[in-house]
Amino acid sequence: MALGPAKNIGGNKLDLIKGIKAAIEALTKPSAVQHEKRTSLTENATKVLNKGRIILVTKLDSEEEIKNIKEKFHGTLLYMNKNAAATDNLMAINHCDLVILNLWPEGPPCPMPIKSWPDVSTIVSCEFTNIQCGTALAPKLCNLVLKHYDLASTTVTGIPMKEEQNASSSANYDVELFHPAAAHAAILKGIPSETAHLKTYREGTDYETVTLKWCTPRSNASMELQHCSSAYRITSVDVNSRPSSCLTNFLLNGRWVMLEMPRKSGSKVISHMLACHGGDIYIHTMYTSRSILEDPPSISEGCGGRVTDYRIPDFGELIKANKLAPFPAPTAESEESLTPLERSKEQLNRHTKYWPITLSSTSLFNLGPQIEPLAALMLEDNLTEDEVVECKQVILYLMNMEARGDPLPSPMAGQRGKGMKREDQYRAVWAELEQYLQLHLHTPAHEKVLECLMECHNKAATPEYKGDEKVDIDQALKELDDCNYVADRDKAEFGSGGGGKHATGDLSLPDSKRRRTVPPPLAPMGRSSGMNLLTLWENKVSSEESRRCLEFQGRLKSEDNVTKLYVNLQKDKDKDEVPRKK
Amino acid sequence: MPTVILLDVSLSMSRSVDVSTPSQNEEVERLELRKDLAAHGCHSLLDHFAQHCKLEFACLISFSSVCKILMPFTRDFESIKNALNLVEEGDKTSIDVGLVGAAQHILEEWGNGTPCQIVLVTDGNAGIGQHAMQKSLMSPHSRGAAQFPLPFPFPAKLNIVCIANPSEPGFQTSKPLYQRLIELNGEGDILIPEGGLSKKSVSELFDQLIKNNFSSYSGTLHCGNLSAPITLSPPPQPYCRHHDFEVIRVSVDSAIQVLGFLNTGDVSSPPAFSRHLVLPLSTKGDMVMLPKADGGSDDESGNDEGKIPSFCVLLHGGLKRENTVALCQVGDNWYGILYSWADNKKKSNLMLSIFVPGNDVIPWMGKLSNLGPASLLPTNPYGPNESSTPFPLKIQEEKSYALNCVVWVRQGGLQSDIQKILRHARKLPDKTQSFYKELNRVRRAALSYGFGELLEGLASVLERECTLLPSSSHPVAAIQLQHAYEALRNHDKTYSDYSGSEISEVSSDYSDENIGTTSSEGVYVFEELEEEEYQGLMVVGPYMLEPDAGDVVEVVPNQPDMEWRRDPKRLNEW
Repeated sequence: MALGPAKNIGGNKLDLIKGIKAAIEALTKPSAVQHEKRTSLTENATKVLNKGRIILVTKLDSEEEIKNIKEKFHGTLLYMNKNAAATDNLMAINHCDLVILNLWPEGPPCPMPIKSWPDVSTIVSCEFTNIQCGTALAPKLCNLVLKHYDLASTTVTGIPMKEEQNASSSANYDVELFHPAAAHAAILKGIPSETAHLKTYREGTDYETVTLKWCTPRSNASMELQHCSSAYRITSVDVNSRPSSCLTNFLLNGRWVMLEMPRKSGSKVISHMLACHGGDIYIHTMYTSRSILEDPPSISEGCGGRVTDYRIPDFGELIKANKLAPFPAPTAESEESLTPLERSKEQLNRHTKYWPITLSSTSLFNLGPQIEPLAALMLEDNLTEDEVVECKQVILYLMNMEARGDPLPSPMAGQRGKGMKREDQYRAVWAELEQYLQLHLHTPAHEKVLECLMECHNKAATPEYKGDEKVDIDQALKELDDCNYVADRDKAEFGSGGGGKHATGDLSLPDSKRRRTVPPPLAPMGRSSGMNLLTLWENKVSSEESRRCLEFQGRLKSEDNVTKLYVNLQKDKDKDEVPRKK
Repeated sequence: MPTVILLDVSLSMSRSVDVSTPSQNEEVERLELRKDLAAHGCHSLLDHFAQHCKLEFACLISFSSVCKILMPFTRDFESIKNALNLVEEGDKTSIDVGLVGAAQHILEEWGNGTPCQIVLVTDGNAGIGQHAMQKSLMSPHSRGAAQFPLPFPFPAKLNIVCIANPSEPGFQTSKPLYQRLIELNGEGDILIPEGGLSKKSVSELFDQLIKNNFSSYSGTLHCGNLSAPITLSPPPQPYCRHHDFEVIRVSVDSAIQVLGFLNTGDVSSPPAFSRHLVLPLSTKGDMVMLPKADGGSDDESGNDEGKIPSFCVLLHGGLKRENTVALCQVGDNWYGILYSWADNKKKSNLMLSIFVPGNDVIPWMGKLSNLGPASLLPTNPYGPNESSTPFPLKIQEEKSYALNCVVWVRQGGLQSDIQKILRHARKLPDKTQSFYKELNRVRRAALSYGFGELLEGLASVLERECTLLPSSSHPVAAIQLQHAYEALRNHDKTYSDYSGSEISEVSSDYSDENIGTTSSEGVYVFEELEEEEYQGLMVVGPYMLEPDAGDVVEVVPNQPDMEWRRDPKRLNEW
């Protein structure tokens, strides 16, 4: 806001009241946060205070004028407060600090001393400062900024730098930094005599700076977790000086620098760290004193410390799958009620629904890569048709393994004798797989995988099928088809692919079962009631395998194991005789 | 939390328990001096440490008119007990001496950031001089603040345990002083036995003290459906601080919930409010410490606990393997990180760093609630093989130290800018591009500050430089310098509209093979200046230091840019 030049009120004096009034008025307007808190309808709403500071830059000639300004300021403030209290959108000022900066020309010093009045009244404090114009102006303003924003200064000393051209020699430089004063609390609060030697005055300043020594940085510091109690942003005081920009560029390039505090006793301790995060340079405060966590017990000395078969690599995968990343800021009326972090919690919940923590407590997850696609896919929110097929393939593969009698990888082997028998191992795997699938029924697609397992494996155990224990061969074939449903992606294809005899009128089958083209006829099979799906499956597998090598044509055409040779010879000669012989 | 047992050893502690009923059952309670009762109570406190808080530190300080550290901070509670038995009697009670001693010892040992407990055990009689002290403590401004340690310069709880009958006149007189001490410190309590003084009532008193102040944390660590009972050492303290609009006081929940994982490098050593060891509890709820070395005794009861799997160990192993941390929630809108931490190379453990309460406490990670599963994002920011990372978040505005802006607040800034131009001038024509870039930068600033004298000064410097060119120098250097100082002098004539014009390199048809090599660097392009850049700039001309020609010319010859030293000895460390 610009008010234009002050009005001359005679005697080479200017009217400052207009400016003071405008400043106070600006202070009575609540800031965005104040406004939000004030109208928040919580119990704290009435407690929001309004404090501020007004800096008056002018030139005064006598003590009388200062007194005058103080009084007028106080009067104006009271008046404006009254006005503000009467309105809804303005806030009365609870306390105001008036800082008068008296610019005095170079030459003889100002006769009026620097002075402060901590309580002009209960709501006003005042401070009078002289500033000599010229070179002193900038540092002086800097000092005021330090005071008003509660900043402090640190001088990093002994930074080795070299000239580009003269690489063999280097000189040590100092760089001064500003940062919130709280960054010094950890080293300065306490016994004053212990830290007095750290503080010095820099030439031409009237504030203290804490001198800390540069430590040779380690390259891997940023990959470790340093124990810090606070981190504050910094700026160098002379942003453009060669040493400063040299240091800041070094930090902006991602190097971390430790700062050392000399102790009175002569020893040194690392007290701070300079590091850049995303373009901002920070000063981190480190713990300097003895740690109460010293000599901690190892994790192996506590509960569970002697267990050696934790699924740590698998947990590593879980960690990788649950990494956090910043999400785009939510839009105003976000359709999702969950914050991204809550969604991550949900996801972790889902990923750990069934998660045995040791190898010895699981058979399923010992199977390794064979089971992986299924284990990973079932955690998904949604499954596509392809993914369902992939899961089913895993189940079929397992069945295949069992049929072949492949041994299962077992961590128990060698531990307690021979471990379980093979059938028991498979039984355990199937039971665990069922449990796993049961816990992950997020969508109908997930259910299909479970259904597949039920149908393929322990159909008899499911109540749904109890009625027809005696499996009709036809029925069994159909179910086998369902299990074997691998390649077909589209239900619509059914029929066009030559449905054959099973394709017609199988209305009794559940919807979920999908059919495929009829397999080639199986080897003859008895209708024994004891036959279960497994034997059917095995038979089918063996028959399929047998079909892989082409049957000898002669055997196919044989009659009572005798095949007539050179039938065509005769055919050519006597076309009529051939059918008769057949 | 480190605990100081501050024991009053003044002569009055050697009073018998109750003066009024001295002799009825003298045989039984013959020993009951107040100091014995105090020792008895301290024993029960130390027993509690030994049993439940093995990792705590305690120390024993006695005071009368002087203060003595009988046992510095240690985890060996037996030695403190032994020291208790060897306490010598002193003279008068000077509470301030005791508090100063305790504060001093804590500051020396733990600094000012570690929360501590101070248990002042006394006989309920603040002794001679208490009225004067009380008076000085009551008035907020005028107390002998320099010496008096309250409030302590570190977060501390002060509990005053009085081995006294509540009805004793001495206690009644001293009570306001005790209250004032606690008030000054902010946290703590006065404890006094209920009913008469006896071993039993003192035991109850210390039980109360333990219950209120020394109970260990017991909670559960959750990660989805996995969980483990845990304790935290040291027990987490409630966070209490005054913020702009409210006073926040929160305590850590009994359930700590893992929310997701982050790379250790990405969290970049965030500031923590406190740090705690996460120790798994047995199913019975006890903390188990197995013998460190694996001796022959495999069938001890402790080893059974070691063989029951705990999720903590798995989590620790996973975090260590992947070099990650787990972001967890410790309370409402309060977060922390779990990670594997090793004091030395051998023993690593699970550690919890608790942040300051709030959602936006680590600037380079953004709002914590805005972190979500990377796998749900359209493109995983970690890349297919964890090669990239979304952290740290980039800041919006550029910092002054990251911009190459003109700052002439102090003389040095101006001088170094001029020197830079001269350095480039001496390396013409190799540095032609940099020379004009720097020249235009200074010229632009000088024009916008209304600092015409600087241009004139700079022109003279360059002219002088031109005349001093050694005969071996390239002829183009002289041409460029002359062009530059003439252009600077003409700023008010030909370049009156400064906004559009930059001094550009003079085109030279001087044919020489050397020119060919230098100009092959490419066409020099100079920044075009937008007029808007000058708007809003403050004119500080009248206060600006008059550029003294001598000042400007005084240049250390040939001082090129600095670079970081690469000391061959240190090369490996960098």
